[in-house]
Amino acid sequence: MTQVSTAFEVYQFMSEKNILIAFTGHFDHLVTTSLLKNIKNKLTALQSVTGIDKKVYNILVESIENISKYSSFRNHGHKIAMLLLCKSDTHFTVITGNHILNTDVPALKEKLDKIASLSPLELKQMYRDQMLSKRIDENSAGLGIIDIAIKSDNHIKYDFKPLTDLTSFYLFQTEISIQK
Amino acid sequence: MDSLIIEATEDSPRIMFDTVSNRFIISGESRPENAGKFYTPVINWIVNYEETLYARKHETTDDSALVFAFKLDYFNSTSAKYIMDILLIIKKLVDLGYKINIEWHYDKRDDDMLDAGNEFSDTAGLKFDFIEY
Repeated sequence: MTQVSTAFEVYQFMSEKNILIAFTGHFDHLVTTSLLKNIKNKLTALQSVTGIDKKVYNILVESIENISKYSSFRNHGHKIAMLLLCKSDTHFTVITGNHILNTDVPALKEKLDKIASLSPLELKQMYRDQMLSKRIDENSAGLGIIDIAIKSDNHIKYDFKPLTDLTSFYLFQTEISIQK
Repeated sequence: MDSLIIEATEDSPRIMFDTVSNRFIISGESRPENAGKFYTPVINWIVNYEETLYARKHETTDDSALVFAFKLDYFNSTSAKYIMDILLIIKKLVDLGYKINIEWHYDKRDDDMLDAGNEFSDTAGLKFDFIEY
């Protein structure tokens, strides 16, 4: 059971790590909408002249939508996931985490490695090809991740933490530089 | 044809296709839960509007341009595909000789929205007028 002292540790940890938003739970469209509303208010309050708030918002939405695409909820009846938004003096960091079937890991890893290896021009070309391809293939590399890569100057990272024989926890991180 | 008006929601844009002023505007935020359900009727409406354009061109002396204005705060990548579909229909209409001006409005702080406009313009092969606000 969570004790008052543990709660204080959580608070201290979040303060030290500059975590603006931490959410775990069931991500559906309604939850996402209310979360985004809250986040938008926080970002607008930063009164950025460079438009970084818009960039962060863009990447957040795509990251959250990415959760439902790659989550193993279809097979396990749940969509429990995590979202973190952190801010340091130089960067915003968006991290999502969700359960994924181990059998889906190799293909996803391959797509992410491919995207991470591309130059800005190659990313644009890939984005264009995807945009013109017929309706979205559920398992395609996805316009979303390509979009995140373009908007963050390809500062994406990922990790898979094995949980059971069947599932892993998929972490996806994007760093957004505050300096222009 | 009657105007097409769909009010904005928290996750879908406002559609204001005014057939009297000939100014068609898509504005707001676009990340509907089901983008196909939202955009398919809009796209079908535009396809059907060609008849009206045809009638105006051949049966009246009105040769004013139709203005298609995009004024989006945000759109997700799924919506991007539907926006592309709309632009490809506009491109067809332009190639058929209809006068259509495309305006791409963007927040002057939002370089990504300007980039997105340039990308759409290049990909569709259409000239955009870029308007910052």
